[in-house]
Amino acid sequence: MLFQSQIGSLLHQDHMTTIETLQGLEELLGAHRKPPVVDPGLAEKLGALAATLRAEVESHFAFEEGHLFPLFMSKGETGIVMMLTHEHRSILPMAVRVADLAHAAVAQGFDEQSWRDFRDTGAELVEREIFHIQKEEMGLLAAISALLNESEDAALAATYTETVK
Amino acid sequence: MFAGAFMMGAKDRLLPPSIPFRFFASAILFHVAGWLVLAWGSESVPGFLGGTGAVLAALHLVTLGVLAMTAMGAAYQMLPVATRRQLGPAWACSFSWWLFTPGVVLLSLGLGTGWPVALDGGAALCVAGLSLFGLLVGRNLAQVGDLPAVTWPAWVAVGSLAGLLVLAVLLVIDMDVGILENRPAVAAAHAVLAGYGFMGMLVVGFSAVLVPMFVLSKPVEDRDGKRVAVVAGLALLAGLAGMATAWSWLLVVACLLGLVAVGLYFAMQRRVLASRMRKKLEPFFRLLKAGWLLLVVSLLVALALAFEAPVARLAPLWAWLLVFGWLLSFATGILQRIVPFLASMHSGAKGGKPVLLSHLTHQRLLDLHAALHGGALLLMAAAMVFDLTSLARLAALSGLAGALAFAAFAGVLMTRYRAHERRSQS
Repeated sequence: MLFQSQIGSLLHQDHMTTIETLQGLEELLGAHRKPPVVDPGLAEKLGALAATLRAEVESHFAFEEGHLFPLFMSKGETGIVMMLTHEHRSILPMAVRVADLAHAAVAQGFDEQSWRDFRDTGAELVEREIFHIQKEEMGLLAAISALLNESEDAALAATYTETVK
Repeated sequence: MFAGAFMMGAKDRLLPPSIPFRFFASAILFHVAGWLVLAWGSESVPGFLGGTGAVLAALHLVTLGVLAMTAMGAAYQMLPVATRRQLGPAWACSFSWWLFTPGVVLLSLGLGTGWPVALDGGAALCVAGLSLFGLLVGRNLAQVGDLPAVTWPAWVAVGSLAGLLVLAVLLVIDMDVGILENRPAVAAAHAVLAGYGFMGMLVVGFSAVLVPMFVLSKPVEDRDGKRVAVVAGLALLAGLAGMATAWSWLLVVACLLGLVAVGLYFAMQRRVLASRMRKKLEPFFRLLKAGWLLLVVSLLVALALAFEAPVARLAPLWAWLLVFGWLLSFATGILQRIVPFLASMHSGAKGGKPVLLSHLTHQRLLDLHAALHGGALLLMAAAMVFDLTSLARLAALSGLAGALAFAAFAGVLMTRYRAHERRSQS
């Protein structure tokens, strides 16, 4: 059911990457009670985290809101659009904040305050984003298969490839 | 799944949250009541083979009050969303609770005391509530042709429900006027249909939706769900025929078919878990896994009984493993995940951020419940095998303490949910 549409498959791949990133973040947060020393290995991880969060979350949300949701709205599916857009509004600033904190830590390391911010915002991001992906995987991707015809699916996949990947 | 309900323009298919929550809240209260009554009658548990009293009352408080109640709430919430078809008017779902809940109280009172008015009245209300539930579910399933991994097991469950209700009525009439020639065989058939047929096949159908959603994995393959339903259906038929004819070889065949069905179900779940995106399994899976393990053990004990092993010692152990071991472990595992999930979903509906699941869930209380529940299972099994009444009491008290911890988890959840909603609106 999930992989019948091209665009559903592409969004699913995005989810896979994001989940992997979030699980890495979760492991990092769980491994350190005190601010960790940002050695070259951790700096590389934090840099990759910041890049992935920006690329996967920001561009993924922008694609959905800019291209997919208008199509859903035109078919009268407003409930799905309202709920997911509402969640994007709470998740995106959190993802950007974690990316900024990770980026800053690469340059300056963590102190007590910045680590607490990073840990608290990161933990909330993990939970909210995974819950959001659960909804998209079980609801949105199924809705795409049910609502879009082949040409709409192909056009969206092409737009996604041009604008996101 | 639930998210899909809000999504696919399906608000008309979603019930008001008060309906599933009233079933779940009742299940949590009956969970405490069931263990409490079991603790009261615990000295009769080892060697229990039937008859009115606290043990039979406790058994029905758990099977009807916790297991069936949870199944009803979950089915009313899940089925219309999973099948994308209307289940029925909300008032009918609500009415089934109004019939069923006092029915469970009265029937348990009747089974505990032998008071005919409570027994007959409670049985009538329970049969009416469950029949209405069966009709609503059957009507929903009849409209669906594209979701066999859910609908095929669910049809076996509905068929089993019809059968177990007929046998329940016969058993109650028999208590009044004595119409059955072989009451133990009818009671055993009633238990098999209730445990493996009705509840067991609902577990298979619900697992096809819930487990992939929670672990973010590929959906269950249609053919896998069909295979489990067919083999389990054959196992049930063989078991019923064996009990009706007293041919033990048929009972052996039934147990072996049951084990094959379980093997197919496990293979289905293994594929789901192997393809999951979420690598870390959440704590509630420990109860699901314990339940799955004890399902197999229950069938092995049933097989030993089919080979004419001592009934007095093994029959109570079989019932214990089936009801408290497999089904109660699974039901409490699902309840502790589905209640905060639904609460979080509904909390977002009034604006503001949805409340976090981790904020709603008091994990230490759930850890305590899991430890006490596990302790109760092991202690009671030992009490049955070694015929130790003092150990049986300790087991029931452990289960009661676990049920109280679970109720406290639910209380904390509701308090935090309401506080979040108040903050969101102010």
